[in-house]
Amino acid sequence: MKRRSYGRDAGLTMRMILTTGLLGLLYVVFAVVLFQVLNVGLVPMIVIVVAIAFFQYYTSDKLALAAAGAKVVSREQAPQLHDMVERLCAMADLPKPKVAIMDTPVPNAFATGRSPKHAAVCVTTGLWERLEPKEVEGVLAHELSHIANRDVLVMTLASFFAMLAAMLTRFGLYAGMWGGGDRRDNNNGPPVWLIVMLVSMLVYVISYILIRTISRYREYAADRGSALITGAPEYLMSALQKISSQMTLIPNRDLRQVEGMNAFFIIPAKAKGNLAELFMDHPPIEKRLAALSEIAREMGRPVA
Amino acid sequence: MGLRDILSGRKKLPGPKDDRLFALTTAAVTMQMELGLKTAGAGAIAFKPQSSGEFRSAFDDVDKLVDAVAQQFGSQVERKSDEYGFDWIVVKDPDLEDLVTTAHTLAAELTAQGFGEQLLAAIFKFDGDQKPVYFIYGFKRGAFWPFVPIGNDKRDNAQELELKAKLEKELPIEQDLTRWLALFDAPL
Repeated sequence: MKRRSYGRDAGLTMRMILTTGLLGLLYVVFAVVLFQVLNVGLVPMIVIVVAIAFFQYYTSDKLALAAAGAKVVSREQAPQLHDMVERLCAMADLPKPKVAIMDTPVPNAFATGRSPKHAAVCVTTGLWERLEPKEVEGVLAHELSHIANRDVLVMTLASFFAMLAAMLTRFGLYAGMWGGGDRRDNNNGPPVWLIVMLVSMLVYVISYILIRTISRYREYAADRGSALITGAPEYLMSALQKISSQMTLIPNRDLRQVEGMNAFFIIPAKAKGNLAELFMDHPPIEKRLAALSEIAREMGRPVA
Repeated sequence: MGLRDILSGRKKLPGPKDDRLFALTTAAVTMQMELGLKTAGAGAIAFKPQSSGEFRSAFDDVDKLVDAVAQQFGSQVERKSDEYGFDWIVVKDPDLEDLVTTAHTLAAELTAQGFGEQLLAAIFKFDGDQKPVYFIYGFKRGAFWPFVPIGNDKRDNAQELELKAKLEKELPIEQDLTRWLALFDAPL
């Protein structure tokens, strides 16, 4: 049996592995520094952070839906949307996620949930109203690909140490303020809390950039997944164009309401920022469109 | 779903499992003798066409093969598409075995051309006591499930579960009930 695979993007895979590897290396260095400097008190802190990460991971579907103010809709409330999700899931061989609608004119969509079995996909009323059915399908397939690729798991793991670092920075700050100076070491080096804080801050900044980078790669991967599920990348392309052009037309008041959800959205609420690409969690729309047209070309190629 | 799929994202859709399609012909005897279900002489296969030119030209070959098989069996073939962007090939033939063979030929040929991932389901219609009963084969799942529509986009779950219980030994039935996709608008 011949199996075909589109978008065998070796470059993208390499970049993803490289970034993940760098992130891993950073964590190891961070951990080593921590253990060298702080021999005690680390265990309880890690337990707390692990607990928080687990809580976030296990409740991710409900948390994200509640944070976005989205409502889960039944089959009777949105039969067409349910039908669409069902067929796409059948093509991708995914269990059907919960279907939610967010009442805002901003056209957008997101997916969340720790595993394909505990997932939810949400579209805004703006998306449903402004896009053609085939374009909505392309967007839904993109979100379902996030679920298939287990992006919540990947991003939770990726952000874990950033969270730890952020906590330690604060911890170091308090320790310093309350003069945590019962030193067993009597050398005249800088105080322990200062080292921990500086290292933590550094780890936080670097991991922030790396996490954003992984997030951008996951977007490309989900775009490719959408092309696979629908068999027609051109509809996702037109959907992305429509969404991004309308995102900037809509007043800021609406945009700010949803900004916290950016990492999960198909297109971030502020589509045109002045931030460097390094700090963005989504690749620029032009690059996504270019990658999609490359996939479209590959789909027309004979099997090797 | 391996670790590699998680790390770099899925690169292809899950492939088709068409090998258990013929189980329906073996189960047909039990279905008729014990459940009073007889083929209604209609079956159909649904797949998602790709927009690429390569798919279209590959599908021309599949189309020709289906026509050749239909001619050999003396069955009628119709082509339709639905509002979800799926294409259907509907086969009418009084013999269930011919219907299953045609569906399998189509699936195998599409797979051989490298487009097996585009296959969604095959559906076969049976005449029951009062209402028609359908058996759907999910190519991604490699299993059948019963489908008994009762109008207004509703289905008779009680009868479907009864059919599951009675046929489980003969037919590979999808055990995860949430995967029992409905096909209300199947053009049969």
